Amino acid sequence: METLNLLMQGFATAATPINLMWAFVGCMIGTAVGVLPGIGPAVAVAMLLPITVKVEATASMIFFAGIYYGAMYGGSTTSILLNTPGEAGSMVTAMEGNKMAKSGRAGAALATAAIGSFVAGTIATVLVTFFAPLVAEYAVRLGPPEYFLLMVLAFTTVSAVLGKSTLRGMVALFVGLAMGLIGIDQITGQARYTGGVPEFMDGIEVVLIAVGLFAVGEALYNVMYEGRTDETQNRLTSTHMTKEEWRRSWPAWIRATFIGFPFGTIPAGGSEIPTFLSYAAEKKLSKNKEEFGTTGAIEGVAGPEAANNAAITATLIPLLTLGIPTSNTTAILLGAFQNYGIQPGPQLFDTNGALVWALIASMYIGNVMLLILNLPLVGLWVKLLNIPKSYLYAGILVFSTLGVYGMRQSAFDLVLLYAIGLLGVVMRRFDFPAAPVVVGMILGPLAEAQMRNAVAIGEGKWTIFLERPGSITLIVIILTVLILPRLLRRWAARRLAMAVSG
Amino acid sequence: MPLQTLIGAGLVLLALAMAWGASSVSSEAGYGGVGPNFFPWVVSIALLICGVLCVAHALTGGFRNLEEGSGDVRAHWKGFIWVSAGLLLNAMLITTLGFILSCALCFVLSVRGFKSAEGELDLRLQAWIKDSLIGFAVAAPVYWMFTQLLAINLPGLTNTGWL
Repeated sequence: METLNLLMQGFATAATPINLMWAFVGCMIGTAVGVLPGIGPAVAVAMLLPITVKVEATASMIFFAGIYYGAMYGGSTTSILLNTPGEAGSMVTAMEGNKMAKSGRAGAALATAAIGSFVAGTIATVLVTFFAPLVAEYAVRLGPPEYFLLMVLAFTTVSAVLGKSTLRGMVALFVGLAMGLIGIDQITGQARYTGGVPEFMDGIEVVLIAVGLFAVGEALYNVMYEGRTDETQNRLTSTHMTKEEWRRSWPAWIRATFIGFPFGTIPAGGSEIPTFLSYAAEKKLSKNKEEFGTTGAIEGVAGPEAANNAAITATLIPLLTLGIPTSNTTAILLGAFQNYGIQPGPQLFDTNGALVWALIASMYIGNVMLLILNLPLVGLWVKLLNIPKSYLYAGILVFSTLGVYGMRQSAFDLVLLYAIGLLGVVMRRFDFPAAPVVVGMILGPLAEAQMRNAVAIGEGKWTIFLERPGSITLIVIILTVLILPRLLRRWAARRLAMAVSG
Repeated sequence: MPLQTLIGAGLVLLALAMAWGASSVSSEAGYGGVGPNFFPWVVSIALLICGVLCVAHALTGGFRNLEEGSGDVRAHWKGFIWVSAGLLLNAMLITTLGFILSCALCFVLSVRGFKSAEGELDLRLQAWIKDSLIGFAVAAPVYWMFTQLLAINLPGLTNTGWL
């Protein structure tokens, strides 16, 4: 009951006109960046991070969260109409959704994606409402050794588990950690790796790295290699679902929600695995197997899209209760919290309870807004796809300047931004993942501090990590995480191969 | 795989530079913990291992499980130069020209780059004017919103807060 009371108070804060406005603008921007190719929620949040200087914490977190889950709604539109999945999470949606669109059922595919996102997002928000406080309550008992290992767990998952190559994931992670080292050491106040450049004393802004890798890097990559890549757009049809389509969609939405949610909560973020699992499950259970991969099966859109949204919503649990980001966007959200001097973690529910509950309440409201924005108004968003690529990317570069310059008012940062953009091109060309860089850079300094505190608690002995039940459990989990997803993925890939061919 | 070898070698160099930097950080540990130089050493050594492995992979058949970068095989350098010019001039001129004009310039030059990559480079005066106006129309509202509504400091050509 206490949770419900707190949630009601959250609604009272979230429903003030000004916060509703921020949520609405966030959902609008989120949908737009989801629809637009070349820009995703992580970059959008990073570019707008300078607003944290002036806008009050609750309002800006509501705004950023709106962009984050709004982008998932918009992403399905692009993957169904263009067959270019914006991110790994909508790859599966693109497969069946594009088939449906080709056979003239784009509208139904968009409808089941939007409604499925709404159902999954809302159920996942309910689960966050009740589980997050429980996790926080438990997490209070964790000490530095456990925290350090939790961060190692996050590092392991983003670098070694999610990418295609463990080695290239590790390279990206350690480059990120190296970037995080630049600046003043938190514990002793010593300057490290500043090379006498005063701009480096405060460290490198995460905005700069995220915008450089994802926006500038993407734009440069595009101009260098993808100038001639043409897109064909499928025709939009009425977003009406027949009774039969409803009947086939809703079990898929529910199943997928419960497949997606757990994957978001564990630091194994990324919605790639749950969307594939959901697709495989739907394919197996469907009575219309012949539609998969041919004319497009509605379950194959409904399930993965719901799984994606459930996983994305669930990533807020590790972020809020442990302070551990498991995706690009949550890493930048963590940066936003840090700009306010707020450190997400188990104490967050006590110290900033009003903010957290307003944020959670705003997600219920935001999901309703997004359903309206994405169903009746889908035609409006589709128009965004008509912006010529040259204007789109040039505009993205202007916004990149805004985000980076607005943060520190330093022209030096703009040169650095270009350099990071070049790094982004090389990484993209040679298939190095970018997420570990951002996560490593943000979590690195925190992990280092926890590790040094942990060893200090152990009076200089590293065995401290083996003496506590919590830390031993975590070591076991880290080892499991290293091994299990490999097996799972192999299994999912086999199922998918069977599903596609069979 | 010469380029891949080069990347691996770059990583090795980065690792050595990190190690050189780490050696100048004090090891003062305080209360029995580890000092501020410990983590830099860990990162340096890990990067060194990664770099050496990358070189080894590159020399023995190339990076493993590599998904080839999408798009053309050869880079379109002309477009790249236009966009780079836009970004770097922006960095150089933003404090003197102000946000709006500097960003509009960056916009125009970048559009030239992307059009050139699409094989539709248009250097006629009317195209320059049209794109400049669009660039201005993108940058100006953003500038006004941030400086007037959110009171975030962005440089202007004048002190009026409007240009």
